[in-house]
Amino acid sequence: MTPPIVSVRDLKVHFPIRSGLLGRVTDHVRAVDGVSFDLMPGKTVAIVGESGSGKSTTGYAVMGMQEPTAGQILIDGRDRTQMSANERMATMRRLQIVFQDPASALNPRMSAAESISEPLQIHRIGTARDRRERAMELLDLVGLPHSAAGKLPREFSGGQKQRIVIARALALEPQAVICDEAVSALDVSIQSQILNLLLDLQSRLGLAYIFISHDLSVVRHIADHILVMQAGKVVEQAATDEIFNAPKDTYTRQLLEAVPKL
Amino acid sequence: MIVEGRGTADPVLSCTDLRIEIGGNPVVDGTTLAIAAGETLALVGESGCGKSMTALGLIRLLPDAARQSGGQITLEGARIDKLSERQMNRLRGDRLAMIFQEPVASLDPLMPVGRQIAEALGRASETSSTDVDARVQDMLVRVGIDRPEVRARQYPFQLSGGMCQRVMIAMAMIRRPMLLIADEPTTALDVTIQKQILDLMSDLRRETGSAVLLITHDMGVVSESADRVAVMYAGRIVEAGAVTQVFAEPRHPYTAMLLRTIPRLDGPRKVALPAISGAVPDIRDWPQGCRFHPRCPLATDRCRIEAPPLAQVEPGHDTACWHHDRIATELT
Repeated sequence: MTPPIVSVRDLKVHFPIRSGLLGRVTDHVRAVDGVSFDLMPGKTVAIVGESGSGKSTTGYAVMGMQEPTAGQILIDGRDRTQMSANERMATMRRLQIVFQDPASALNPRMSAAESISEPLQIHRIGTARDRRERAMELLDLVGLPHSAAGKLPREFSGGQKQRIVIARALALEPQAVICDEAVSALDVSIQSQILNLLLDLQSRLGLAYIFISHDLSVVRHIADHILVMQAGKVVEQAATDEIFNAPKDTYTRQLLEAVPKL
Repeated sequence: MIVEGRGTADPVLSCTDLRIEIGGNPVVDGTTLAIAAGETLALVGESGCGKSMTALGLIRLLPDAARQSGGQITLEGARIDKLSERQMNRLRGDRLAMIFQEPVASLDPLMPVGRQIAEALGRASETSSTDVDARVQDMLVRVGIDRPEVRARQYPFQLSGGMCQRVMIAMAMIRRPMLLIADEPTTALDVTIQKQILDLMSDLRRETGSAVLLITHDMGVVSESADRVAVMYAGRIVEAGAVTQVFAEPRHPYTAMLLRTIPRLDGPRKVALPAISGAVPDIRDWPQGCRFHPRCPLATDRCRIEAPPLAQVEPGHDTACWHHDRIATELT
């Protein structure tokens, strides 16, 4: 059996609350409080929940952007805390992240091709010419014309910017991409284009996704496995069909009940 | 009148051929609509389609850069688009109210919420301060806020987003306005809170008989809380009618494709969604003829040249499409 790309075991992220003159730690916000799941190659695990549920913090911890308070995060079976700096850098090539707002994720002064090939430059991969060629391939992959290469972010629509961000995330050929509300800020007609792109990339490249979202209809469409989070805890996790057809937890049922039906 | 109110001769508010410009560009390009007492009309569309500008134009709260360049606005049969700012202010306090997407940003951070609601009652009420307090607290209870005497003294930062939106609704409804305009009132809120706020709005509407103009981008919200819907695209209303009619049998390609492209809770999973190609056009670059034609699979030469007018296809259901007969067979 293939090992999971990412294994999260009893992850906790607690933030201290300081008060008084001396700023003593009086309590903790348990932003993530005991989350466990496995991400298998080519699959999508979705984390759903309302604001403050800890879904994004979980994503940041997996990405290595947030130090866990406790618990383990294994990348290809290796504990991140046991890794050397070089190994950590290497895991960054395996995992990438795409955020909600593509406008703030792109440098306004960098052309699409420069943005897309920047990760290659940072990791010192290929010659300038190789990188330029790779940027063109990536433009093809995300459905943008080659004429987009020299343009600046302001010349693109929101959906096109998100395609550029996705192309950049794919530059290092990651095995998994964390999508943190990656389609939430897009108009409905654009949202479905990007969802289609993500599904298409998954089947072509065998990508795995951790899909963080508050939108249950979108999550149902894209995910294989779902974690429902509330106040830092996973209240229920199961295969997508099970969550939607036979939700066990009261909060899951409340969430499903609250979704406006078309 | 093209878009008629539900069986009433006199709509609360109507506009005819409303035009709004920003820097010479028509953001709202000839909108005609009418809202009857007690009904919720949803104005739905993607960003930049002009739905919020229409709402702001209707109550004449346009930003400085924008101006009404044509059309008429009528409130209870009387023109209001020529009124002075002072007369308009009186109307806004008394007959018209508006709530916005960001409740926290719409409230004064330095004033207890109870006082903000009391302020909405205004000078018109010649009641004593104890009466005002009682009315404010009564209103807080009606919008579902517990311990009103405590909450009234709190500041916006002490309340959650959902709670702040309840306060905004209390401010808006305390004078029993004829018309409440709600611009994406639940977009910034979590889905469970969204449901509570939408339910609250419909309860209050039933109680007071106010009309509600609901601006949203969310077809689910339209389906659950509106009686009628007007779909906007690139500054124009492309389809309008009863929600049940429009959702069951859309007669404009944009509406039909929008409804198909949204992932549904009962739809197939992990398959390509029927997408609408291309992007919403930029306002400086709106296409000639029907503005949807570059993205429309039914488009013909006529669509590229001649803009279709909004016209009735069945009683109470209008569309602006030359090919509305082909939609049922080719797009659904």
